[in-house]
Amino acid sequence: MEGKELGLWGSSVIGAIGLLVFLSLWEILVRTNVIDPFFLPAPTQVIDKAIQMTTAKDAVLLTDIKISATRVLTGFLLSVLAGVPAGLILGMNPVIRAAINPIISIIRPLPALSWIPLSMLWLGIDEQQKYAIVFMGSFASILVYTTDATMRVDPTLRRAAMNLGASPLQILRYVILPGALPDLLTGLKVVLAIAWTCVISAEMVGANSGLGFRIWTAKEWSDTGQVLVGMISISVTVLVLDILFRGLERVLLPYQRKTSGT
Amino acid sequence: MSETLIKFDNITKRFSLRKGDIVAVKDFSLEIKKGEILTIVGASGCGKTTVLNMVAGFLTPSSGNILLDGQPITKIEPRCGMIFQNYALFPWLSVRKNVEFGPKINGVSKKVRREESAKYIEMVGLKGFEDAYPGELSGGMRQRTALCRVLANKPDILLCDEPFAALDAMTRQIMQQELLRIVNESGQTVLFITHSIDEALILSDKIVVMSVRPGTVKHIYDIELPHFGKVEVQLTDEYLKLKRQIWAMVEEEVKISMKIVSS
Repeated sequence: MEGKELGLWGSSVIGAIGLLVFLSLWEILVRTNVIDPFFLPAPTQVIDKAIQMTTAKDAVLLTDIKISATRVLTGFLLSVLAGVPAGLILGMNPVIRAAINPIISIIRPLPALSWIPLSMLWLGIDEQQKYAIVFMGSFASILVYTTDATMRVDPTLRRAAMNLGASPLQILRYVILPGALPDLLTGLKVVLAIAWTCVISAEMVGANSGLGFRIWTAKEWSDTGQVLVGMISISVTVLVLDILFRGLERVLLPYQRKTSGT
Repeated sequence: MSETLIKFDNITKRFSLRKGDIVAVKDFSLEIKKGEILTIVGASGCGKTTVLNMVAGFLTPSSGNILLDGQPITKIEPRCGMIFQNYALFPWLSVRKNVEFGPKINGVSKKVRREESAKYIEMVGLKGFEDAYPGELSGGMRQRTALCRVLANKPDILLCDEPFAALDAMTRQIMQQELLRIVNESGQTVLFITHSIDEALILSDKIVVMSVRPGTVKHIYDIELPHFGKVEVQLTDEYLKLKRQIWAMVEEEVKISMKIVSS
């Protein structure tokens, strides 16, 4: 099969088969008591649990997903609003870049978790604290991705625009911004996934709602089914956001779809 | 026809490098008349691209002035429209939007913009490709778009930095004919840079041979060939005689430059 493309349908079918085989094996191993269901419940049991958690009066699972997603998106959007303009400036001005670089180098390697103590002291365990964790976890990365994307814009394109009479502001609007957009969107997609890990960590340490909180409390009750439902919900939500993001890329970068294909 | 458009007045350009200063262009004086197609040929590294970049305003002379209509060029000059070797098209804009970039930046209304871009797109033979993106086009069509984009900005002079060097031989020949046709239609003044003597002979009213570094004007040829602008020009005795002469001169310079490099 080397060098042969499967096509969308082919790879989807094979992917579905792979998933089915994996789930069946898992189900069989639990049903035959090779794996103790107390440690790892079977897929069907997880599904039962998920149904139970969605159809109950309070529909706790959907509320948790909504709460966590709101926290992620709010923190992420704040980060984008601050990080993208700042990154554009850094990308275009070597002096400011040189001045700011050491600070970013110190902040960027810090895991979002390490901000939890300070943020709890400053902001308690309110929503603002969750936003702050997501913000701190994603801001430096967004800044760096934007700076890099800006710097990678072909300098001849700037020259060409100047030669056609563009002012520095017009170059920013009509050359740098669209030129940096593809790399920028790729970066934002990566950071959005990071933002999810931030919020789940924050919810495990100090919260009374959200998917992280739900997983953590389930552990206290040794409810492995609920732990798994929580974990799978994270995967599914991230996947859905990823698909939405791809849609956004298609809308914003129509020329890439046309020119990268055959 | 005889009015001077560009005047190089004893231009010198130095670059400061870590190894020390390099004089790229020295005592360069030349006049380009309105409506003229002037080509500069020379060995690589002779400073011909530096000359072009100074006319565009991307570089400033270390001494001397370049005058455009009697006024020194001090900043990036949109009246000197540049055609780049690698096209420099905006990949996210369609052919039409690329062509309308200059007029849009300069505040031309959408309606006028659309009319003019249609006119120029037709002139360069890209009708039907208005909505294509540069990535969907062949090299020749990309360079047509780049030419079109510069023409739509109505420059006083076209600066061409080896614009056909990246094209295959056939497309190249077609593009040379197309450039001549378009320039004749519009009466554009052109400053063209190439290392191909054939290209220079096919296109030019005047050929300037530059010496190796520090680059200066070594000789100026006025070209008056029978069948000018047609492919047959290349078969005439006059053409071959000139080619031999210019080649001998360029070859001398190439040999000097190789000695500089090897010593």
